[in-house]
This record gives sequence, C-alpha cells and structure tokens, in this order.
Amino acid sequence: MNIPLSTTTINRRAFLGGAGLSLGSAALNMLMANNSTKPRYLLPKARAKRVIFLCMAGGPSHLETFDYKPKLDQLHNQPMPESFTKGQPIAQLQGKELKVQGHLTKFKKYGQGGQYISDYLPWTAKMADDIAIIRSMVTEQINHDPAHTFMNTGTAISGRPSMGAWVNYGLGSEAEDLPGFVVMTSVGGRNPQPIASRQWSAGFLPSRFQGVEFNSTGDPVHYVRNPKRVSAQDQKKLINTITALDRHRNLTINDPETDTRIAAYEMAFKMQTSVPELMDVSKEPQHILDMYGAVPGDGSYASNCLLARKLAEKGVRFIHLYHRGWDHHGGLEKYMDTCCQLTDKPTWALIQDLKQRGMLDDTLVIWGGEFGRTPMYQGKGDIGRDHHIKGFSMWMAGGGVKGGIGYGETDELGYHAVKDRVHVHDMHATMLHLLGIKHEFFTVKHQGLDWKLTGVDHSHVVKDLIA
Amino acid sequence: MNLLKPIALSFLPLLWTYAKLDFNRDVRPILSDKCFSCHGPDEEGRKADLRLDIEEHAKDDNMLAIVEGEPEESEVIFRIHSDDEDELMPPPEIGKPLSEKEKDIIEQWIAEGAPWADHWAYVKPEWTDPPMPKNSDWSGHWIDRFTLTDTENKMLVPAKDADPVSLARRLHFDLTGLPPESKTVKSFVKDPNPTAYKALVDQLMDSDHFGERMAVYWLDLVRFADTVGYHGDQPHNISPYRDWVIRAFNDNMPYDQFTREQLAGDLLPGSSVQQKVASGYNRLLQTTHEGGLQLKEYDAIYAADRVRNVSEVWMGATVGCAQCHDHKYDPYTINDHYSLASFFADLADRGFTGNKLPTDRPPEIQIHTDENSLKLRDLTKEIDHTLSKKKQSELKNLEDKKGKLSQSLKKAKDANKTQWQEKIDRINQQLAQVAKPAVLQKYRKLLREKKGVEDKGRWTMVSQAVKPRVMRVLPRGNWMDDSGPIVLPAVPEFLGKIDSDKKRLDRLDLANWLTDTEDGIGLLNARVLANRIWYLLFGKGLAPDLTDFGGQGTPPDHPQLLDNLAISLVEKDWNLKAFIKDILMSRTYRQASLPPNGYKSFQLARRLPAEFVRDNTLAVSGLLVDKIGGPSVKPFQPTGYYRHLNFPKRTYEEDSGESQWRRGLYVHWQRQFLHPMLKAFDAPSREECSAERPQSNTPLAALVLLNDPTFLEAAKSFAQKISTHGGNTFETKLTYAFEEALSRAPDKYEHETLASLFTEHSNKAEENWTPIARAVLNLAETNLRR
Repeated sequence: MNIPLSTTTINRRAFLGGAGLSLGSAALNMLMANNSTKPRYLLPKARAKRVIFLCMAGGPSHLETFDYKPKLDQLHNQPMPESFTKGQPIAQLQGKELKVQGHLTKFKKYGQGGQYISDYLPWTAKMADDIAIIRSMVTEQINHDPAHTFMNTGTAISGRPSMGAWVNYGLGSEAEDLPGFVVMTSVGGRNPQPIASRQWSAGFLPSRFQGVEFNSTGDPVHYVRNPKRVSAQDQKKLINTITALDRHRNLTINDPETDTRIAAYEMAFKMQTSVPELMDVSKEPQHILDMYGAVPGDGSYASNCLLARKLAEKGVRFIHLYHRGWDHHGGLEKYMDTCCQLTDKPTWALIQDLKQRGMLDDTLVIWGGEFGRTPMYQGKGDIGRDHHIKGFSMWMAGGGVKGGIGYGETDELGYHAVKDRVHVHDMHATMLHLLGIKHEFFTVKHQGLDWKLTGVDHSHVVKDLIA
Repeated sequence: MNLLKPIALSFLPLLWTYAKLDFNRDVRPILSDKCFSCHGPDEEGRKADLRLDIEEHAKDDNMLAIVEGEPEESEVIFRIHSDDEDELMPPPEIGKPLSEKEKDIIEQWIAEGAPWADHWAYVKPEWTDPPMPKNSDWSGHWIDRFTLTDTENKMLVPAKDADPVSLARRLHFDLTGLPPESKTVKSFVKDPNPTAYKALVDQLMDSDHFGERMAVYWLDLVRFADTVGYHGDQPHNISPYRDWVIRAFNDNMPYDQFTREQLAGDLLPGSSVQQKVASGYNRLLQTTHEGGLQLKEYDAIYAADRVRNVSEVWMGATVGCAQCHDHKYDPYTINDHYSLASFFADLADRGFTGNKLPTDRPPEIQIHTDENSLKLRDLTKEIDHTLSKKKQSELKNLEDKKGKLSQSLKKAKDANKTQWQEKIDRINQQLAQVAKPAVLQKYRKLLREKKGVEDKGRWTMVSQAVKPRVMRVLPRGNWMDDSGPIVLPAVPEFLGKIDSDKKRLDRLDLANWLTDTEDGIGLLNARVLANRIWYLLFGKGLAPDLTDFGGQGTPPDHPQLLDNLAISLVEKDWNLKAFIKDILMSRTYRQASLPPNGYKSFQLARRLPAEFVRDNTLAVSGLLVDKIGGPSVKPFQPTGYYRHLNFPKRTYEEDSGESQWRRGLYVHWQRQFLHPMLKAFDAPSREECSAERPQSNTPLAALVLLNDPTFLEAAKSFAQKISTHGGNTFETKLTYAFEEALSRAPDKYEHETLASLFTEHSNKAEENWTPIARAVLNLAETNLRR
C-alpha cells in the first residue's frame, strides 16, 4: 500500500488539528476518504502510544556503561589484535597505533535478571528490571552528523524524514494544542557536538510533521510570545479580525486553503498560551522536582525529562530529548562523571514518574547515542575512546518491552556485535512494531520510489525484546 | 516456480473498460510500480530471470509472460489473479497488491494486443500540430489550442479570464516576486489598449527583479547555501555565485551557455572571472569539516551528491538511486552512476578540516564590484606611475629582507643584537636609495589604499581541475570495497555516448552533451526545463514529478503540449525570456484560478514562496531595500537559535541599516538552522536538489506573520505610511492601505470590521494604525498569488 504524496493535496494542512481539522494522520485521512478501510501498515494492536527518545549525543561508551568484557581488562595496554580492526572504518585513530584500553570503571550485576551495569550509572542500576539492554547495536556511519542522520532517518543522505515525523505521519497526533513531535536539547556538560535541525526534519513528508523545537530559554517556540506592548486581549482581537476577514473574502475567492489557514491562526493563538504554560514546571510539586533534580527554567536534562512527561501526558506522539557532550576522545573518566551526573538520575526519575502515573505501559522509552566507542585507547587529553559503529549498547523500556533482560552480545573485546546483531533499522522496525506499525508496509512515495524508515534491506522486529 | 504450467482459469468480467489504453500513460506506471523492482533493470535483484521492462523479454516465446492479444495465454494474467499465495503476483509479502482496476487495465491492454512504447521521457520530443478546438474564437495561440481541446474533451468550459487586478498581481509575483505598485495596477486596469498586457509583460521581464525571481528557483535546484551543511555547518564563501545566477537570468543568457558556465566555466577557453564564479556550481554541495573524517569516505559521499544533483537538475532523473545497485525502475546501471561521478573526479575539493569562520575551501577567487574594479585599475596605474615596476620589486625584496632581519634581531641574544641592527641599518640605507622619501610615502599610501579596496572584494569558491582521482564502481555503495572496476567519465549507456578523441572526457563535454540537441540529450533536458517553467507559471508541472521523469514518475497529462514546449524552447535557442513570454501571451496563462465547478483552469492559486512573503511585506510597508546582489544578509532572528552549532560556537549578529531590509533571497542560508521565517514558509534547507516546494499552512507560519520582529517593524512602517500618505479620513487611509497591500479598495464588511480594530489610544497616528497594518499584512489574500 502506498500513500502517494502530492504536495498539492495533503501538504496543505496545519500540523495540528483542532476544531475544523481532524488530527488523524495524513495517511489515515487519505485512506478513510478513499475506502474507509484501515491502512495495511497498521497492526491489530499497538503496545505503545508514544515514544520518548533519550538521545545521548556524541556516542556514549558502551564499555563504560553496559558492556562488560573481562578480556578487555586482561589485554589492557597491549596492541589491539589486528584480527579485530583490519579493514574496519576508523575515525580519529586513522594511522595511529591501536592498543587496548581496559574498562575505566567497575561493573556489577543488578536486578533479578542480573544485568551488568557500570558504576557510572547507579540510578539506572536501580531500574535494571525495567529496561531491556541491547548490547549488539550496529550502525553504518562513523562521524557524528551522518551517524545522527542515520539513527534518525535510516539513511545518511539528507532530506529524509526523521522517525518522529514518520510516526506522526503514520499515527497522527493526539495532542490538541501542541505539535505531535517535540524536540528539546539540554544545556550543561562539556563542549558539545553540534546538532542539526535536519535531525527532526519532516524530509519529504508534509512539513507539519516536522519536529518542533521547544526552547528552555527565550521564546519556548519561535515567535510564540506576543509583541511588546500588545496584550493577550489585543492579540486575540487581531487574530479574530484576520480570520473574520479571511472568511469573508473567501466567499469571493473560494480558495479551499483558507479554511486551513484560519484553523492555523486559531491554533497559533492557542499555542501562545498553552506552550508557555506547559514549559513552566514551577507549579510541579517539590518532591517531583526533587526526584528529577530539576530547577524550573534551568534548561537542564532533568527539566527536559520532566517536560517530556508533561508532553507525554498531553498526547504528544514523539518526544525527542538530546543531551550532548558524550564525545569522549579524551578525558573519558572525568566526562563520564559529568554526563552521568547530569543524566542518570533524571532518566531514572522519568521512568519512575511514568510508572507511577500508569503511563510506562504505553510509553516506549529509548536510550542511546548515535554510536559507541572503541575498545582501543585514544589519548586526546587523558584517556579516551574513538567513535565505534560495529557494536554498542542502547536500552528500551516500557511500551511493551520486556524489562530486566539483555539482548545480543559483542565479541570478547566489545568490538563486533557477534550474537543477535541489532542494526539501527531493526531498532526502528521494533519501535514501529510496538507502536502498532508493520514496517514493511509503512511506505511513502517520493521521487517515484517507495521509501521506508527501515530501508531497502530486510530489517526485522526483535521479537525477544517484546513482553 | 514453473512459468510454463498449463493455465486453466475463468476470468472475472472486467469491472472497468477504458477508451483505448495508452501504454506510457496507463500501463507502464503499473508495471513499473508493481513489477519492475523484481522484474526490471536491476540485474542483482531480478527474479525468475524475467524482465518486464523490455518488450522482447516480456513477450518472450518461452516465458509466455505476456502474449499479445491473448490474456488467457499470458502467465502475467494468471499470476495476478491467482488465489494461491505462492503463485500470486506481486507476492503478498511485498505489500504492493494490484487493485482490481489495475488488473483490468493490464488485461485490457493485453487483449488490445499489448502495444509497447519506449518510455516517454527517453524519447526525443516530437512536434505535434496543435489540434483545432471546437471553439475557434477563444484563442489562436498554439498553447491554447491544446488546452482548450483538452477542456472541451473533458466536457468542461474554460475558466474566465482573470480580472485585471489579479492578472497584474500575478504577473508581478511570477516575474519579479514583488507586489505591484498601486498606481501600476490602476493604470493597467484603466488602459483600454489591448497591448497594455504585453507592455506590462515586457516591462517586468526587463526589470532586474526578474533575475532575482528566477534565481530563487534555480538556487533551490542547485542547493545554494551559505554554509557547509554537515557537522559544524560553518559558513563558506559563495555569494558571488548567487549574483552570477541573477545576472545570467537578467542578461537572458541562453540555457546551454548557462549550463556550460556552471558545470565547466573554468574549462572554457579564456575563462573569464565571471565564468569561474559560475563554476562555483560544482562546489555547492554539502561538505564536512569534522575531525576524524575519512577522506576516502567523503570522496564517495561527495561524488554521489554531485551525481544526484546533476542528474536531478539537468536530466530530471534519479541516477543517485544507482549508487548501490542498478536502478530498480530505470535503465541506469551502477556503472552509469560511477561513470557520471567520474566527470567530477578532477575537482580540487577534498579534506578540509578545521574550525575557521568562514571555513577553508580552496580554490577560491576574489571578485570586486564594477566600481571597485575600476578603482583598482586606476590605483594600479597610479602606483606604477609613482614607482616603476622594477623599483617596486627592488623595494619589496629589500623589505622582505628587512622583515627577516628584524625577526632575527628579536630572537637574538643581547650580545648579538648590535650585529643584526647593523645589517638592518644597511638595508635602510639601500631602501632610501630606491626613491625619495616623499615618493615612497606616496607609494605606500597608494598601496594601503589599494589593499583597502581589495579587502572589500568577496571571495567565492570556484572549480579547478587537478589530476583526476581514480573512480571505481563501489559495490553496494561501500566506499571501503576496492573490488569494483575503475571507470572513466561517461554518460549513461542507454542514452548514448559522447563521441570524442580525447583520452578522458571532462565536465565541459558533459555540459555540452546535456544541451546538445543533436548528439546529446538537449531535447530531453529541454522537456525537463519546460516542465519546470510551466510549474512556476501555473503551479503544477504538466508532468507532475519535477525531478523524476523516470518510470516511477507520473507521466504528463499533456505529453504533446509538453513536447512542443520543449521543441519551442530549443528552437528559440534556449532563450528563456522569449520562451516565458510565449507562455505568458497565451490565454491559458491568463485564466482565472479557483474556477467554479464545470469550469477548467490551468492556473492554480498558491501562497507566495517564503522569500516573497518577506519581500511582499517589506515592499508594501515601504521598508524594502531593493538593491541587487551582494554578500548575504542577516535580518532579525530569535536569540540563541544557533546555540546547537559548534566548532566554533556562534552567535548570530544581525545586520543593521539597509541590510536588515533586503529581499529574502539574500538572507544568510544556514543549512542546519535556516532562518525560522523562511523555514516556516517551506523554504528548503538546500541540502539536496529541490524542484518543488511544499505549501504548508501551519500555526508556526501564522506566528511568524503575527510576531516576528521583522514583520512587526514592517507593520509599524506601513502604519506610518498609511497615516502620512493615506489622506485625511479613516476611509481614505483604509482605502490607501488596501490599495497598497491588495491593489483594491476595501468593501463594506472589511471597512466595518477594521474600523472596530481602530482605537485612537495614542497621540501618534501610526501607533493607532499599527493593528490595522498588522491585520492587512496577515490576510490570506495579501500573501496569495492567484
């Protein structure tokens, strides 16, 4: 089943629903209009209604978080066996001497499943039974920018939709006065890698599916505040005048787009109130703020986790948090401390908070970076590790995921994923499956071709991860 | 799978029958979409050794896939109707079932004898004499004879002519991207002379804003931007290329020349500075400056990027899809992909890292405004007059020596200092002998002056040919796989080849082939371009997929009209202004958009493109600075919008003065964080070729028009203009406002509604008028081209 994308028919809608506009997805609307049957890509049942993606941008080391390899410590400081690295892509260590770097911390087993988790993540360790750790992730891109693009869109070529846009396109949004795909980036930590708005682009999907960035400082959404010296009442009067005049004039012009435009203006006005309200966490009870470690208005990852919960409550379909600063070519020990202190507890708090509100069951939370880090030493200012794409770790929780399990393995040095490999496309397929989408059939026609989030090669749903 | 087993089937009665089918219009799209991915050009992915994209294979006597005139004998028909999941085609697991209608079409087509035709886009356009519509009075223009015949065949009535106000506005937006002045519209409406329309067309096409308007579209195609795109998204130097495009359109440079200068301006004999600037086209792609980049990987990424762009812009083809394997739907092989890439393997453009702003991307050249070029010429003359060339070089040598000695002096131990000082003194004596102090002083002053002017020059990236990198076919697109064969520059095999004695073809050969109407694909290219110009002037291409003329693209509704347009473009020697004017003079162009039921119009109403939304507001409000060209400008932008950029970190420093009020096409194009205003109105990031912009209608766009400081300033300025120039009463002022923004007077309802928004809360008239100015600038009609 293809959903043809004609820019003149369905692009011309507001990304938000509201009174005159059904919130349903473009795909759904089209099909309902045509033959009132369910699209082929929908499974009978969805386990998750929404996704919160916690992107640890820069590439956290799997060898200091979830992937314990005793052999790595044994071979510490020795030359990296060439059998592992020969013919493999290498980033900053190109042409350098490669030697093994042992773990920089201790691992212990946690939870009923006895999951190895490192000492850097004491709070994650507490929820070992809530999360499914994938230790056999592989990706195809070794530099940050393309690797993010690959993680988000399933390809390194620009101009393709991000997974948040895909999911909203397929399922629509349930949020009444908010976009269905919200992105937030936290402040704090070390000098971060850049991150491009391409990562939340709608690509060739209608632009209303693009991620909307909510800012922790300045206007929460661009231009959402009234101009200086214009009261909310004045603004309302102005918008009413504009829509009244548009409606009136359209009796003569008959442009079908005008109705959509009027709805967009009405929604814009609603957003002027709803977004700043939502972004204000100061009214949350103190114990909730404390649980996350959030200080209202600080723009921290902790605050963003709390906001993610609020957005989830409002029905936002895809919430993407970026925390940057995980690119540890050097100073690994120090910067792992920094990053984990900023993210470990808030992540735990988010899971607990969702759980206590009964929302974890239908909220899929995914944690991970765009790649992992080499078992080899890099010394860019103290001990570090280079980018690594052949084996790294991520975890999933909630939304139908089996907690307390580990899945997949890397080899004895944590280099190659050797058992139950999970390609980024497989992760996407699994995510879509939990959302009730059959990835093989979830296609969009663009430039004559059927595009899928999960790529052209055969991708599979990792059934073992599903409860 | 046994394709030869006996077939016994009872066929369902046909649900639909159609007037005689057209293979390219009705049948090929189904075969392409549903069958070709396994039974098409891709050798690796082909199943059962069956090809349905080539007539001889599809009708092979052994296969019996398609038997002319005999649906019941055709395996294809058996397979598409089978109840057995193992036999059913397309296989259910592919998720692309045929609809009943599609099955019927295939069956009817086979029954009709399965007539075949080559894919329309690969066949050279042929001229068809325009048909004779029944209503011969409507228009004699050849384009109209096609469109009216089509309208009549559909039992529809052609839409009325657009009213003169709409028409004047349409022409202005289509040809200049700017709104008309109210007096122009008034005199156009009043002018009874039938030549008034033609006169307005001529006047607008002669305007320098014509080039700006066309450039907005071209820059989307070639993905022009001010920053590198990947990772740190640092700025690079390229704005002179944008100005070259504007000038080329204004000078009506023939499209074949336009093509040559961009792809190979540096290779043209006696290449001029402007031609080198044009060759900046090859440098427009996204590049990375990330530490840890693997050169070889990025060579492959850049090569593929260039193939995607050149094929989408000039061929309307998705050759980029053959990066990993033969194209699934079109006859482009993986070999073709890398052979095409090989044309660009000579470009000096690789491996620049570092965090400089702007970043390093040599080769670059510096260019000057006409005025400064003259100044530099005069200064050079004066300098040479002041001091002979010989003495200048003498002076320079001595000064260089002195410089080195001074360095040594600095580093020297105290004991040795005198020794160095003595040497310097000797040089000083020699210097004094070169010329009199007064002459030297004058000379140095002139040099400083010259440098001052030179520094005002703008750098721009250009193409420069170096020893070509080895280009191999990369199996599955894998840049680490060196097992593929080495390829030389060549055009896609099924489209022919370039005859040449040269050992190695170059970019100039490619450019010539793309526009050569005899031995190249000039005529096919003309069809791609004609279709895009039609899209600009009507809102929809005659073939709707502007970058895919391949098997998966929707075939044109009016293939004969499109073919004729292509031929007329070529017959006009690629003269774009003449070509556009021909279309503008048709009655079809002048039809009213949004007609009532039963009427057919080719014109589509549409919101202005992002840049013109800005330009329109600034022009109406009187703020617009309509200077042509120059460095990119930085208007107001939300604080902190670039906070995610790094290497190095950046703060956006908005321009002051006139740069704040320039047209949208000059706004700094930050690929990763495009100005939120442009983005909200669907301007593309320009990471890839974009031939058609979506037209969204979102709350984010509403927030821009309502609250973006640029638009607020414009409203204030408009309010002031209204209160100053709008006469003495509320009525005259409101009429003035409407005429400026909408080229018409308000009606009673509009008058009453806006009157209620007017409150005299301030002593300043413009403050009282600001809410009305905001309302008028926000109206749908203000931002609509219809």
